[in-house]
Amino acid sequence: MIVNASHLFSFLKRIQSERLGGFDAVILPERTDKGNLFFTRMNGETKVEIDSYRATDPLKSLLYFPREQILPGKSKLVKRLILGVKNCDLTALEILDKAMINEDFIDPVYQFWRENTTIVSADCTEISDSCHCNLVDGKPFADKGFDVNLSNIGTDYVINTGSSKGEEFIELLRKYIPISDDHAEDREKVRELRQKTMRKLEARNSDFVRSGDYFSLKNVNIQKWKDEAKSCVGCGGCTNICPTCYCLILNDETTAKDFIKVRSYDSCQIHGYARVAGGASPRPKMYERFRNRYLCKLTIMKENFGRLGCTGCGRCIDVCPGKIEFREVVCRMMKPPKAEEL
Amino acid sequence: MVKNPYQTIPAIIQEIIEESPLIRTLKVKLETPIPFKTGQFIELTIPNVGEGPFTPSSSHYTTDWMEITIMKAGFVTEAVHKTKIGDRIGIRGPYGTCYPIDKWKGKDILIMGGGVGMAPTRSLFLTLLHDIDNYRSVTFLMGAKTPNDMIYKYLIEDWKKIDKVNIVRSVDRVPEGETWSENVCLITKLLDKIDLDPHGVPVVVCGPPVMMKFGTFDLLKHGYSEENIYLSMEKKMYCGIGQCRHCVFGKYYACKDGPVFTYDKVKNEENIWE
Repeated sequence: MIVNASHLFSFLKRIQSERLGGFDAVILPERTDKGNLFFTRMNGETKVEIDSYRATDPLKSLLYFPREQILPGKSKLVKRLILGVKNCDLTALEILDKAMINEDFIDPVYQFWRENTTIVSADCTEISDSCHCNLVDGKPFADKGFDVNLSNIGTDYVINTGSSKGEEFIELLRKYIPISDDHAEDREKVRELRQKTMRKLEARNSDFVRSGDYFSLKNVNIQKWKDEAKSCVGCGGCTNICPTCYCLILNDETTAKDFIKVRSYDSCQIHGYARVAGGASPRPKMYERFRNRYLCKLTIMKENFGRLGCTGCGRCIDVCPGKIEFREVVCRMMKPPKAEEL
Repeated sequence: MVKNPYQTIPAIIQEIIEESPLIRTLKVKLETPIPFKTGQFIELTIPNVGEGPFTPSSSHYTTDWMEITIMKAGFVTEAVHKTKIGDRIGIRGPYGTCYPIDKWKGKDILIMGGGVGMAPTRSLFLTLLHDIDNYRSVTFLMGAKTPNDMIYKYLIEDWKKIDKVNIVRSVDRVPEGETWSENVCLITKLLDKIDLDPHGVPVVVCGPPVMMKFGTFDLLKHGYSEENIYLSMEKKMYCGIGQCRHCVFGKYYACKDGPVFTYDKVKNEENIWE
């Protein structure tokens, strides 16, 4: 299917203002004056940009909020449409979904947001300097995990649906704006543009190609971690902004009547993270916590969830006040790739 | 409506037993009983302060009330020590795995509890007493720093009268002004004083990390086997359900894969004693 871009955007404004389809909010990346993209609730003035590359804030922060009451859970329905989601954030949802909705328990608040949010992804047409999904089995476009995917081919978008929620959204679209069938040449255009972005990524990251044997990181000499961690100030910015980090702390705000629990992000980079009553901590030193993040992303999450905890979004690189380059650290820690892996 | 995993049950404190200067036992009545299996833990909320993981110290056959023995060690436990009879607290759970006591029928069982580690092991001990005919014997080694730190003193005489039960206690030292007529040594040294064929004996160890570590090494030296040594891992089990990740060590979550692990399962993971 094909939709004209200007038709689509004026329709999105109507969804927001007239609450079409029952949507309470349309959220999409906006380019700020400083040049960064941030997810914003759409209004008349929004400089929207759903193509280009991933927003500065991860999709996580819209489904698993930095601070949110979890007991009791949500009761008032809020239905949202989020557009301009990138594949790095969609693959991160594979981990969050398993971590929050599994056989042991269901996080009712995460499930609430997940069920009441329609996710519209869009192919990356640009890359940011820190993007490196190609190094961690990722791609700058999605073929699963979305409700709807949009591929920009100039003035039009090629539409793909990935769920019944996506189908419903397209039905809504059809009622108000023209949707036509896509043709072989449109699909060919999508393929070409996707390859073009992939080539940009490969060129940007050619110096960071490494062997895929991340479990070797466990045996790296501890002195190397000490050296790398020297410029880490332990602020936890990398974990807060990471699309797959979800460690939480619980705060008790119980009243005389009800038990109330509020969860907030926690960070394994912070000293008190794993400290138990009495003061013992498994990782009292900064370099131990620094190493823990790399091992969690590249080995432990793989064991827990069957996929790497890094989706290559590069946000931890951008956010770091110590200018720590995740890609470079991993490369220095790992053996160079074998010839057949290049 | 999905069940909220953080659903907390109100409980009223019925009785408080001051066990030692730092340790007290709360006897609580829950609005709705929480059935558990010995070895599992609960999360206890002190309203407006926070919550922490504790293993009940009562038998899992006791369902009308629950006893929890708690040492003053951090800010939640400080608040526990300020509670009064009649106070309303919250409990959720149970969480984690339990001791496989069904597999221990007909065996000699050895329990080592050091300091406040005597509390969760008391739950196991009382549960075993309930069906004592099922086991060949139960040996409970109890260790504390000083006689004043020894908890459950008021129960010992009754326990000693029970057939097939052997209780051996030690303190590390006897400060001036305190009296003690039993062993003065580290709890691990008590292994030399008991007459038990280590073959096939399940051993449960709970205590401060340093005791767990050297206790395990001494047990191995005495011939107890790795797969029979049950360790209670002390990790920060914040959520109790495997969500918050604070207790992750290696690929395990202490809260849902444990908190009780056999030594052979965890011996190759990092930082297990910290």
